[in-house]
Amino acid sequence: MIPRAAILVLLAILAGTPPAAGQGVCLPLPRLLTLVPPGGRAGPSVDVTIGGEGLEEVERLVFSAPGITAVPRTDAEGKPVPGGYRIAIAADVPEGVYEATAMAALGISSARVFSVGSLPEQTPPAPGTGPATAVPIAVDSITNGQVTAQAIDHHAFTATAGTRLVVECAARWIDSRLTPVVVVADATGRDLVADRRGEPLVFTVPADGTYLVKVHDLAFQGGPAFFYRLVVRAVAPDAALPRHPGTRPVQACSWPPVGLPPAAPVREQEPNDTAQPQSITLPCDIEGSFQTAADVEAFEFDATAGEVWWIEVASERLGRPTDPAVVVQRRDDPGRWEDVAEPADIASPLKPSSNAYAYDGPPYDAGSADVLGRVEIKASGRHRILLRDLFGGTRAEPENVWRMVVRPAAPDFAIVAWGLHLELRNGDRAALSKPLALRRGGSVALEVAALRRDGFTGPIELVIDGLPDGVSATGLTIPEGSNRGLVVLTARDDAPRGLAHARFVGRATIAGATVERPGRVASMAWPVRDAWQEIPLPRLLADLPVSVGGNESFPITVATREPVQVVAGTTVEIPLAVERRGEFSGTTARLTVCGGPFDKAGAVEVPLTGGSATLPLDLKKLAIPPGEHTICLVGGGVTAYRPASPVAKGATTPPPAAQDIAEIIVSEPIRIQVAPAPATE
Amino acid sequence: MASAMSPNRSRGGPQPRCRLPTAGRIALVAAAWLTLAASGRASDHGSTDPEAAPSFVNDVVPLLTKAGCNAGACHAKAGTGQNGFRLSLLGFEPEEDHEQIVTAARGRRIDRAAPDESLLVQKATAAVPHRGGQRLAADSAGRDLLVRWIAAGAPPPHADEPRLTSLTVAPAEVVLRAGGAAALAVEAGFSDGSRRDVSGLALYESADAGRVSVDESGTIRAIGPVGRSAIMVRYGGMVSVSSALVPRDGPAPVYPEPRTFVDRHVFATLARLGIPVADECADATFLRRVSLDLTGSLPTPEQARAFLSSTAADRRDRLVDELLASAEHADFFAGKWTALLKNRRDETSDITGTFAFHAWVRDSFLTNKPFDRFVRELLAATGSVVGNPPVAWYKRVRDPKTQAEDVAQLFLGVRLQCAQCHHHPFERWSQTDHLAFTAFFAQVGRRPSGIRGEDLIFHRRGSAAAVHPRSGASIPPAPLGGPVPTITPDDDPRLALAAWITAPDNPWFARALANRTWKHFLGRGLVEPEDDLRETNPASDPLLLDALAADFVAGGHDLRRLYRTIVTSRVYQLAGRAAVAEADQGFAAYRPRRLSAEVLLDAIDRVTGSRTGFANLPAGTRAIALPDNSYTQSSPFLRVFGRPDNASVCECERNDTPSFTQSLHMLNAAGIRTKLTAADGWAARAAADARPTSALVHELTLTALSREPRPEEVLLAGTFVDAPAPSGADPATVRRERFEDLVWALLDTKEFLFNH
Repeated sequence: MIPRAAILVLLAILAGTPPAAGQGVCLPLPRLLTLVPPGGRAGPSVDVTIGGEGLEEVERLVFSAPGITAVPRTDAEGKPVPGGYRIAIAADVPEGVYEATAMAALGISSARVFSVGSLPEQTPPAPGTGPATAVPIAVDSITNGQVTAQAIDHHAFTATAGTRLVVECAARWIDSRLTPVVVVADATGRDLVADRRGEPLVFTVPADGTYLVKVHDLAFQGGPAFFYRLVVRAVAPDAALPRHPGTRPVQACSWPPVGLPPAAPVREQEPNDTAQPQSITLPCDIEGSFQTAADVEAFEFDATAGEVWWIEVASERLGRPTDPAVVVQRRDDPGRWEDVAEPADIASPLKPSSNAYAYDGPPYDAGSADVLGRVEIKASGRHRILLRDLFGGTRAEPENVWRMVVRPAAPDFAIVAWGLHLELRNGDRAALSKPLALRRGGSVALEVAALRRDGFTGPIELVIDGLPDGVSATGLTIPEGSNRGLVVLTARDDAPRGLAHARFVGRATIAGATVERPGRVASMAWPVRDAWQEIPLPRLLADLPVSVGGNESFPITVATREPVQVVAGTTVEIPLAVERRGEFSGTTARLTVCGGPFDKAGAVEVPLTGGSATLPLDLKKLAIPPGEHTICLVGGGVTAYRPASPVAKGATTPPPAAQDIAEIIVSEPIRIQVAPAPATE
Repeated sequence: MASAMSPNRSRGGPQPRCRLPTAGRIALVAAAWLTLAASGRASDHGSTDPEAAPSFVNDVVPLLTKAGCNAGACHAKAGTGQNGFRLSLLGFEPEEDHEQIVTAARGRRIDRAAPDESLLVQKATAAVPHRGGQRLAADSAGRDLLVRWIAAGAPPPHADEPRLTSLTVAPAEVVLRAGGAAALAVEAGFSDGSRRDVSGLALYESADAGRVSVDESGTIRAIGPVGRSAIMVRYGGMVSVSSALVPRDGPAPVYPEPRTFVDRHVFATLARLGIPVADECADATFLRRVSLDLTGSLPTPEQARAFLSSTAADRRDRLVDELLASAEHADFFAGKWTALLKNRRDETSDITGTFAFHAWVRDSFLTNKPFDRFVRELLAATGSVVGNPPVAWYKRVRDPKTQAEDVAQLFLGVRLQCAQCHHHPFERWSQTDHLAFTAFFAQVGRRPSGIRGEDLIFHRRGSAAAVHPRSGASIPPAPLGGPVPTITPDDDPRLALAAWITAPDNPWFARALANRTWKHFLGRGLVEPEDDLRETNPASDPLLLDALAADFVAGGHDLRRLYRTIVTSRVYQLAGRAAVAEADQGFAAYRPRRLSAEVLLDAIDRVTGSRTGFANLPAGTRAIALPDNSYTQSSPFLRVFGRPDNASVCECERNDTPSFTQSLHMLNAAGIRTKLTAADGWAARAAADARPTSALVHELTLTALSREPRPEEVLLAGTFVDAPAPSGADPATVRRERFEDLVWALLDTKEFLFNH
């Protein structure tokens, strides 16, 4: 782990560097930010327009589903429409959310959600701004739109009395920054019912006629980032509420456990409260919902002293706004219930952000309000599990489903990665939403969090393969008992332009067998440039596209020439070669050592002017065991950036002025082979 | 009627922090002192057996209280007492008082061998210098009581002695003619069944001393105008109240036929005072009045024309129903409640929370959510601010003590603040009661959410309790005077609290809401202040308050039903011009009130035809729909006219009092001028309108005052506007400026500025 002190030192260095006017953070990268409309119906094609940053010379749009393809659009005269594409959605593409990325000059862009639905869709050219100009919409359709700041979009539909309508405004989980407010009003605009939580709104039509649906942001923000998909559906009175599909929260990275069937074999039988508990037999896999306010789900079972069970509950990880809590109790002789265990929430493997202005941890909480804990049966007898929703005291929402698994220990793990962030400027979090678009000669690091299940403590090897030519990935093994690792992706300085969808896995030995678990990747839906004012929108990505742009090189490379071989308990000075390709402010950069037990090794100054440096390591002090280790160096510097493209194309106009940009510097991985110390007599 | 104010028996160093005596209390103490010191006439101190040792609790403490020794300004002074001699406020901690008198200061305050020479006696009789002066005459029975108590060994309080169980005052109600007098008799009942006349030891206080006075002996006298006043009687930690009526001379008035139970109660009370009611208000007056009171909005000219031209017998009732169903009604009452619930934006990033919370309150009124459900959802809120907006209240009100105090004051009309340090001087609440009520909030858990500054709120499993600051005892949750609920560690105590508060038999919840609502519509609460319901502050019409509360409960805590009940009564629809001068007693006429800040700003916008823009809100958002306090800070108009900053749970934070600054603002503020002269404003449009001036004056009057103009008004306005333009002036410009002046003049009339 990068020591906090090192981060502060980095900040001090950067703070001490007089910022040039308009100093940026992070070298330009392609970011696909808008896709208008943000979805379409399976079968027909749909015309979209993309928008974002660094999207010069987009070569193609790439989707996370093979059934979705795009070609550039041309106007009536055959000229290319700027940012225009025609997207073909195969009829067999299931309803769901997929991700689009754009392969631009600088490489692959960040991902943007593209939804595929089964209802007819429309994208009005302009929103209705009042009852008189409301955009007509049909029941059982989807309307794509974006809200304007300090404005309310108006839509009008007609319906007959008694129809049960479900009105939903998909936004947060399709990558929109909109916190949607949906109001159903009568034809004159008089509000009838509202939802401000992003949940489906149920409206039973009181009388035949025209009604309005108003949509706006909770705080009346607006703009291209505030897009939505408004779904109006007629639903049978007893039918479950349909939901627009969405991306998954980062918390869901640990769900479901490998091998868990899609549906639980047992359902709760209401009323399964303390007065009428439901009997179960362990092990158990059961599902239900928090149907009533302050609902208590009670399950009784017999258990024998010495048994050990693991209880895992998922509800928040199913996308519900819940906080499940479990208490296990045993009935004693007088018939009273005494506490046996209170399994805890799933702790975040890494200390998450406190939302302070200064960066103090990743704003990704890979833990969860869900439950995972060990229960040891101390005495034989009748036991019970009480399951509650700590957020459910006053609400009765059957949509708040849960699933509970009670099992013998099944040690396992899950891993999730995100872009390693160092604070380069107060409030900036832009690195957290970087695409993996490598510059030649550059390295980027992913921070990996491991969630260990049912007592698993072993080391986890991190593996990324399926990379583009010229790109290598080195996983720094997560040591035994640790929850944090790094993966470094490096592009050779002669790597060709290329794109590949990489495979990311964690590998470990569990019960004598090697197991491999898929790694998940998280990113922010939008670059957060002022953490004080913006609400971050973290979510899991569908896949891991990695590219080399090919037309720009990273301004500096720090590497070793040869593998390092050293004897345990000794000190070593590792020679570092620094190849400089760009200009930097200042003469040195302070890079911190990362990699398991090497995290405490401190930092090393490397020349930003190029040349060499030496990294001293005291293996005895660091208590480095024999074996093969991999470390890297991480720090920051301010480089003078000048886009490569205009010069490369031989433009006649003078090249743009260089812009000072603070960027994270990651060394190439450094392999250290530690031999056992010779035996002493 | 009396209530038990059981002494707090915990020990330890007192930590009084607030100054309690009011001017009235100081006067009361002074009066008591004059009696006891100057007259030399001691009141009957109590013991039924003159030979028995006086009781410290039942004899000595009441004597010290009557003499003013344990008043906040004297030896119960916060923190220090006087010269090291510290008594508990009004004797609510007798064990501590006994220790102070008998043991503290090395026992120098009493002399068992020579009781007469005791410092306590010497000081009280001013036989030695005493900064508090003579509290007991040297030959008074009070002084003899002290001496006898010391001579008997200064016995401490003990568990077996009779406890005060009741206090009654007779007569409970007395009718006095102007200048007339009557004597009150106060009787104390004890746990051993004995009863005792304590008229001489009781403390008396008139709620309206300018109308009915009361002296230290309990003699009341009608010294002021027609009306009623409550007389509070206090003894030994209990209170009782007598009501004194001073009726108007003359023939009995005749009252209209009551429409609702509201009318029956109000007319009955007025009849006892002999006060006639005003005439029924005109339709136009009712239209404007009820529109402003229910929606904070002037009726549009179209609404006014439709209503004024209606001949339907039930047109007023229909209008009420329309207004109650309007979005403006939800906006208006959301503004009122979000202020009381402290919806503050202290930092820019708070906007998500303040907007979400306001919207939740607004939606609750829009759908007429039963008020008990509203309170339950607020008190027991959990989750995130977007997923469940009432959790925002737990951000604004963070610590359990303030949560408890705000809830008590807002939803029960009980002010607990004093009891956080010591026994409430005017109420029955002890410090333990305060802590037990606070304990309901002890298990509110917080953890950071993804939104900066907004916590996730949840129930933290565990046994709820508050720790007594002096004894260290663990105090479990208990409602005020209610049964102690069983709350397991798994149960969210706030749900139990919400259940108790909203129970149909809760003694305060419905009455507090009914009183607050009555004040909203009638301008004055049946209890004032509206959030200070206590036995020592009785309602001006207790039967009406009870009836309103009972109807509110019977109706399922339906706010609209309560509003409808009040505004469809004849009482609400009385004219603002009173039939007699004494009409301010009771509700014999409507009390005109200045429009509140937001309502006035919207009204000015309506009349001038301009729109005030507000940051972060869509164009056209009205001032009554503003979600938080940031708009008060950014708008000079709203500040000057008293829009609250959402910092207090008290409605008194809103200042609706007219002021010189407001007058200056209406006359000089650039904002007002801008509205009057707006290019697309009413004046500019009127100047370009081809219709005759009289028609425009009709429209303007209807917009601003919801009535047709009188002929003389049309004539006057027409003469002013249509007069020839001065030589050389542009007639169009002159005509526009005259319309601007006409509008300006209208805005500055009381008829516009007030709801009447």
